[in-house]
Amino acid sequence: MKTRAEGFTAWRRELTPLSALILAVGVASLGVSMGGTIVFVLVQGVGSFEQIVSSTTSPFQASLLYIGIVLGLLAIGGGYGVYRMMPTKTAREATLSGGALGVLAVLFSLSFLWFRSGEDFALFIRLFFSFDVLGPFTETFFAAARNTVFLAFFGQLIGVLLGGFLALMALSNRAVVRAPARVYVNAFRGTPLLVQLIVGYLGLVTGLGLDVSVYRTGIIILGMNAGAYTAEIFRSGIQSLERGQMEASRSLGMSYLQSMGYVIMPQAIRRVIPPLTNEFVILIKDTSLIAFLGFAFADRELLAWASDSYAETFNSTPLIAAVAGYLVITLPLIRLVTALERKLRSGLVGIGA
Amino acid sequence: MNEDGSLVRLENIHKYFGDNHVLRGVDFAVKPGQVVVLIGPSGSGKSTLLRTINLLEEPTEGKVLFDGKEITDIRTDVNNVRTHIGIVFQQFNLFPHKNATDNITLALRKVLKMSEGEAKKRALQELEHVGISEKAEAYPSELSGGQQQRVAIARALAMRPKLMLFDEVTSALDPELVKEVLDTMKRLAEEGMTMVVVTHEMGFAREVGTRLLVMDNGVILEDGDPRAIFSNPSHERTKSFLSHVL
Repeated sequence: MKTRAEGFTAWRRELTPLSALILAVGVASLGVSMGGTIVFVLVQGVGSFEQIVSSTTSPFQASLLYIGIVLGLLAIGGGYGVYRMMPTKTAREATLSGGALGVLAVLFSLSFLWFRSGEDFALFIRLFFSFDVLGPFTETFFAAARNTVFLAFFGQLIGVLLGGFLALMALSNRAVVRAPARVYVNAFRGTPLLVQLIVGYLGLVTGLGLDVSVYRTGIIILGMNAGAYTAEIFRSGIQSLERGQMEASRSLGMSYLQSMGYVIMPQAIRRVIPPLTNEFVILIKDTSLIAFLGFAFADRELLAWASDSYAETFNSTPLIAAVAGYLVITLPLIRLVTALERKLRSGLVGIGA
Repeated sequence: MNEDGSLVRLENIHKYFGDNHVLRGVDFAVKPGQVVVLIGPSGSGKSTLLRTINLLEEPTEGKVLFDGKEITDIRTDVNNVRTHIGIVFQQFNLFPHKNATDNITLALRKVLKMSEGEAKKRALQELEHVGISEKAEAYPSELSGGQQQRVAIARALAMRPKLMLFDEVTSALDPELVKEVLDTMKRLAEEGMTMVVVTHEMGFAREVGTRLLVMDNGVILEDGDPRAIFSNPSHERTKSFLSHVL
């Protein structure tokens, strides 16, 4: 294995001066236009929307964008003009990368110029980027973010348990066991979650007369909904295993359930981690639908917090904060699961293993 | 043992897959210590017949008697019967998420209810038996085909079965790996294990087999001493099959 430093030295050796120049122009184009804009806006201050409006509409910022366009066009022309003449693969990749960066810079600059030329640009900034209005809501924001995580976590927990059970039912040889699972799965997959939440909540509270909070109802219905999707994920994971695994296990005298528990499920779970993660990420965002039922104040999740805060301030910046909140929750989760998946791979072969 | 002194006895076995009549009335019995080699053209029903012995395939009609019990009886505890019949598959079917030792100990612990230590001891003993004790910690993906197949044999042997079934166990192996598996099977035969072997290895059939069955089209065509059948087959069909494989 080459160390990173050695790899870099080798890379530099194969880079020709022309390809290095084109790459540098590409980097500069995006650096000046996008990087320059971000730094400039941050330095000018984002405490109030007026600051953001004045920095983003300033002639200096426009010049950053124009420079970005010029450099970007140079990188595109240079990169795609000469890449076939490059003597090494490294040099060719460098020219192409320079060109690609140029494309990004030009697209960014043009879109920004178009956007800031709009009549209501200042209004848009005031509505969505008035970060100073968030001040009084900071504490409730973190409570809402925590609620979102809890709703999703417990919903998914119910979903996985229920889904595993339903998947086993759906794989039964007996039609009378299979049928209820199919009906359940199709009913929940075939109808909107929002409708399930409304009907479920009204059904529990007014129909059964139970005194349950929106929060708990949300978890239950979300879990029941996730169970249907998870069941299908598990079923496809189990069915993707070779028949020989079950046969070998049964031939050793293990019962059907033992074989499922010790041989089939451990392998199936490894296979379904990617689709299961996907499902969980969707579930995290679906917690926002519960807001329609009207949370108690302390139970609010991110969207409910955002719309309440919006109603109080007549400003949409809380929505942007909620968006940031969802990303802060989902992105690390995706990374965590990727790491877990790698760890569980031990002993398994496959593409990319 | 069954009343007639056989370990396993098949009576008038028929098997249909849909409309496909795969086994058309098979009768035969295996005595303890016999090494029965089952050959025949592909599609003749050899594997299906082998798999009916441990009920991986349920016969549509007919009886299987094993060790004094009719195991095709609906009331039989199939899981218990299977602990006495080992099977090795063409595709190895090792559990990929478990290393060699754990592949073997799983059923020992969960079915025979052995303690962890006892099971491990027996696993290592069996791995040594098949000559790969140095791979005890290796996962199947880290083993060659021949090594995987020997772990699979050790896994079956660890249950201390009365009968071993081999379903074309060398067919998925590279030619240079076939010998190590055949040698292992040969040693087992010499130790007196009762075996039923479906194979295309005619050399093995001749040298190790104590009895040869030739199947075609769902019935047994020949049944007798391997050398006698190889040198003087009684059926035209056997002759043409042997001329293709020898």
